Amino acid sequence: MSTGTVKRHRNVFIISFIVPTFLFFCVFTIYPVLQALYYSLFDWSGMSETKDFVGLGNFTEMFNDPIVWRAIGNDYFLVAGKVIGIMIIATFFAVALTRFKFRMAGFFRSIFFIPNVISVVVIGVLWNFIYNPQIGFLNGFLSLFTESKVDITWLGFPQHTIWMLLPPSIWAGIGFYMILMIAAIQNIPASYYEAANIEGAGQWTQFRRITVPLIWEQMKVSILNIMMTTLNGSFVIVWIMTEGGPDNTTQVMGSYLYQMAFRQYHFGFGAAIGVLILALSLITTVVLQRLMRHESVELS
Amino acid sequence: MRFNKKITALTMALLLVILTLAACGGGSNKEASNSPSGSAQSSAPASQPASPSGSGDTATKLTGDFEIQYFVGGFGDKWWKKVIADFQAANPDLKIKQSAGPKINDQNKPRWIGGNPPDFVYIDGAGINDRQMVEDDLLEDLTDWIKTAKNIDGELITDLLAQPPQQYDGKTFNIPLVLNSWGVFWDKKLFADKGWTEPTDFNSFMEVSEKIKADGVTPFIHTGKYPYYINGAILFPAIVAANNNDYSILQDMAANKVEAFEKPAVLTALNKIVQMRDKGFIDKASIQINHTDSQMLFLQHKDAFIPNGLWLPNEMSKDIPEGFDFGFIPSITHDAGGKVVANTSTATVAVAKKGKNKEAAKAFLQFIFSKAQASQWAELSGAPSNIKGDISSSNAPNFVKDAAKYLTDANTVVVPTITYNADVDKAMMDATDALTIKTITPEEWVKRVTDVVKKASK
Repeated sequence: MSTGTVKRHRNVFIISFIVPTFLFFCVFTIYPVLQALYYSLFDWSGMSETKDFVGLGNFTEMFNDPIVWRAIGNDYFLVAGKVIGIMIIATFFAVALTRFKFRMAGFFRSIFFIPNVISVVVIGVLWNFIYNPQIGFLNGFLSLFTESKVDITWLGFPQHTIWMLLPPSIWAGIGFYMILMIAAIQNIPASYYEAANIEGAGQWTQFRRITVPLIWEQMKVSILNIMMTTLNGSFVIVWIMTEGGPDNTTQVMGSYLYQMAFRQYHFGFGAAIGVLILALSLITTVVLQRLMRHESVELS
Repeated sequence: MRFNKKITALTMALLLVILTLAACGGGSNKEASNSPSGSAQSSAPASQPASPSGSGDTATKLTGDFEIQYFVGGFGDKWWKKVIADFQAANPDLKIKQSAGPKINDQNKPRWIGGNPPDFVYIDGAGINDRQMVEDDLLEDLTDWIKTAKNIDGELITDLLAQPPQQYDGKTFNIPLVLNSWGVFWDKKLFADKGWTEPTDFNSFMEVSEKIKADGVTPFIHTGKYPYYINGAILFPAIVAANNNDYSILQDMAANKVEAFEKPAVLTALNKIVQMRDKGFIDKASIQINHTDSQMLFLQHKDAFIPNGLWLPNEMSKDIPEGFDFGFIPSITHDAGGKVVANTSTATVAVAKKGKNKEAAKAFLQFIFSKAQASQWAELSGAPSNIKGDISSSNAPNFVKDAAKYLTDANTVVVPTITYNADVDKAMMDATDALTIKTITPEEWVKRVTDVVKKASK
């Protein structure tokens, strides 16, 4: 066989894998994105046969809508809160379960992973119960220490109710990233730690000088993933727990998209929010990658 | 390497072509379904059109396909199945298709968009809104038809309607089928046991609430997650009562007239909610809970009153404690000696503008708006129907009979169902929520809502 034929065979082989995948990607990702872009240029109720072309009208309206700005703020608040919360706790658990070997490690690993197996809907309902002011767990627990019954409306503050959505979001996310960190830490050769021990480095120094630099790639991926899943998926937890309320204080972009497109019959406006989510996700990804780029250390 | 690039470029080009074709394909599908011959479900319209005035001439033979879309929710589907079977028996040559279920509104949406809707639609449940359908030009204009339409018994349909259809710029597109009312519930037994007086007006409501609070029970709970409950049962009746029982103010509000929102009656009504709030009668939990949770707390006697609709006993039937006896009044915000205001909530029926068998759809309207169906609806769905008719001898539940009595009483102002613009409705809900947790004043409520009205009416 000539080198040309080999090359051709190889190409056919590669193409036979790429083309179907690319086709599916086009049909299920590119096409909907283009459709959303297209709809965002129209004033359309979502049920009418006619659509009115409004150009960038939906976008101008969107940027003049204070709720959109609040939703963006809430989304980034969740991103920041989740990145900090999940990364600190997941890394702590991962280090605890790998570096400080103790008997129940396997058991705890499973326990911490459980929230990841539960559907977000169930998590939302569960935490709704925890936060219930009358019959909820949290107020019931706090009431043990006070004379009068505690009746804090955890999801009904006039402002900052979005803070209350952080604990369930973090709680639900820890397990997965913990497993990711555990896998990364287990890849670090034990000799590094032994050498460090001999040199007299304590646990904290070992963590700072060995563990973190060597799992930085995984941390980076985790941070990016948390950011993206939050911007695109914070809708679920918000919709289950507060539907963006009270008085739009917990609105995120996804929930406002749903509200406008399907409850208030502004499908074009909803599509415009969808485009905004896409744009912000892309920009944030690029920015975060830039910020974290120079700090990766290769395991050599 | 160059060869590789060529192949990639070719593949990309090919894909672009395929994609474009796929997009075109989608478009042509839509067009195809627009034309009557393009869809398998469509068929020639009734060969013998019924008399255009809809005079109730049942001798006209209905043929062809006839499709009914109905949402299955709190009222169930027993009545629909029964009435459709009866209609089928009366019109054996008609091929009736039922599109029904709790998700039917979403499932059938693409067909409405594509101009291939079912012939007849029952507008109820999430994902469907009568005002929006009128604005989207999806419903048949029934203005002239309803004026002379008689039912199968030869009675004028408009004479039988307990409440008239909503008008959109003076036109009729949908006819209310269910007559439901918002109002306030309590447990008669609990009230009797504790020696609390059942409220008849705002003063007696505030007085007894004081007593209830002193007895360690929170007087009032609502669902802040769905503030249309408190708007429908408290705020809107209060506005009507403060407007000398003239409900045209609500209709003007629904027609996005700014001056209606700025009338003093609106502030008076909002201030009644403020009074309830400031006296600490509104359960703090309300703001964050959904309707089910609020109803559970009410059934557990954690709270004495709840604003709700007549479907409440049916909805919670599995959780009602032994001995619980529902007391109901359509409004608590009118002054002593004033009329009770019943803000009705309804589900309507309509004919699709692009329906292919409108004659059958209109004949079906004539069939269902008959006195016999009044009792049948009440019995099978557990709610009063919008058809005037004596249901006292029927097997309908007692609270339904009581409510029906209220709604036909001369001392009750019955507010016909009004659907607000969805943006305005949302703004009113958010603002009422904010008012109940003291983040805004009644004046700010009006300002906020009128800003949205101005924008929506552009």
